[in-house]
Amino acid sequence: MLEIAELRKVYESPNRSVEAIRSLTFSVGAGELVCVVGPSGCGKTTLLRSIAGLLPVSGGQVRVAGVPVTGPPPRMAVVFQEYGRSLFPWMTVRQNVELPLKEKRVPRPRRLELVRESLESVGLTDAADAHPWQLSGGMQQRVAIARAVAYEPQVLLMDEPFAAVDAQTRADLEDLILALWRDLGVTILFVTHDIDEAVYLGQRVIVLSSSPTVIMEDLKIDLPAQRDQLTTRSLPRFGELRGHIYERIQRAREAR
Amino acid sequence: MKAGVRGKAGVRVVRLFGLPVLLVLGWWLVSGRSFYLPDPVRVARAFGQTWFSARVFDDVLPSIGRLLAGYALATVLGVGLGVPIGLSPRLRATLEPVLEFFRAIPPPVLVPLLMLLAGIDTPMKVLVIVSGCVWPILLNTVEGVRALDEVLADTCRMYGVHGATRLRRFVLRGASPQIMAGLRQALSIGIILMVISEMFASSSGLGFTIVLFQRQFQIAEMWSGILLLGLIGLTLSLLFRFVERRVLSWYYGAGAARA
Repeated sequence: MLEIAELRKVYESPNRSVEAIRSLTFSVGAGELVCVVGPSGCGKTTLLRSIAGLLPVSGGQVRVAGVPVTGPPPRMAVVFQEYGRSLFPWMTVRQNVELPLKEKRVPRPRRLELVRESLESVGLTDAADAHPWQLSGGMQQRVAIARAVAYEPQVLLMDEPFAAVDAQTRADLEDLILALWRDLGVTILFVTHDIDEAVYLGQRVIVLSSSPTVIMEDLKIDLPAQRDQLTTRSLPRFGELRGHIYERIQRAREAR
Repeated sequence: MKAGVRGKAGVRVVRLFGLPVLLVLGWWLVSGRSFYLPDPVRVARAFGQTWFSARVFDDVLPSIGRLLAGYALATVLGVGLGVPIGLSPRLRATLEPVLEFFRAIPPPVLVPLLMLLAGIDTPMKVLVIVSGCVWPILLNTVEGVRALDEVLADTCRMYGVHGATRLRRFVLRGASPQIMAGLRQALSIGIILMVISEMFASSSGLGFTIVLFQRQFQIAEMWSGILLLGLIGLTLSLLFRFVERRVLSWYYGAGAARA
């Protein structure tokens, strides 16, 4: 579904160039949930923006369902970290979710159905007519997730979506993502700096080095498919995987 | 309880009208000492006689009409040019120094020039108003569009929001707090220029009438004209505030939520 081949990104400015990403090659199968972790400043956001077609790459290629990415692909949605800035404050929750569907020219009855279903799936049916700033941070991120879900994407990119919410909300939102992923069969690439989160959510975890970025490890997470905040996180295997990734990232930071 | 509510309402009335009443009393005390300072009753009488007459149609309404026409034209021009300039860094780099220069020219000095180019009638007066009002609107629009949130811009790109919808639902709405600030400045400038444009080579309008009264030593009438200008300004600013509250309700709400 998602193929990244020898992706390279160099930020050029008149008097110096910074190599952010040296070379990344990996793929994400249809319906997979893959997490990307790495030390801070390792170019996670650069990678995600390149895949989303928001940033021109310096080399290599990104393909979505076989089609090379030159701009934002039509059936891709992104949930940004800055929920407070990714929702239109002058629109209600409903209008925020509906706007992309209007632009996609989804007929009105289907549009209303998608809006209703997606808000229901994130538990925000009652907040449909509120404005984003009237909601808590976690609820605002739910709106952004509902908007992505209603858009019916093949690929959903998430850029540290829960980095700015409190721990309890974060656990709830992680489970929400798992539930939506199972129900919708969407392909998800989830970028995070939180190793626990990556292991808990992912079927695979891709560990990045520090910048200029290469892949240190592409790790299969062999935990039971049915995840649960309490039992999954207390499995011995969970601790092993977390420890392993932690060690790799420590090494990546020392190598810098 | 009831007494408390009434007490609160009383406090509000005193807050609202206390100072104006004191000012009128003060005016009363100093008036009469000079021929040029008639007392409030005389000015009030002159106000009634002067302005509740054909002058409403001959002078007041045409003045306000020109003000609104100039203001509307300046809005279309300022926002219409400000949006592309704000969106394009290259255009901005080229135009901004020139715009700052034009803005620095005080609009009243354009009156003699515009008289040569556009005559002395309505077009000249509207142009004078436009020439002053357009700058705060234009520069604030540029600033507002330039400062649009990047994450929202990315969101638009990701979800295929482009063209006219992007302009209407994102660019204009996102820049509206600054655009409204520009419109507010432009409104007071517009009122000043409305009066000034009528003081040169004119035969009607509020500015002309006030100067005429002064020359004919109709001092109470002259004062009543100034009073009327104040009232017009106040009314327009209240109307503006009403519109602003509606247009920017999300902005004030979001601001209160952050605080």
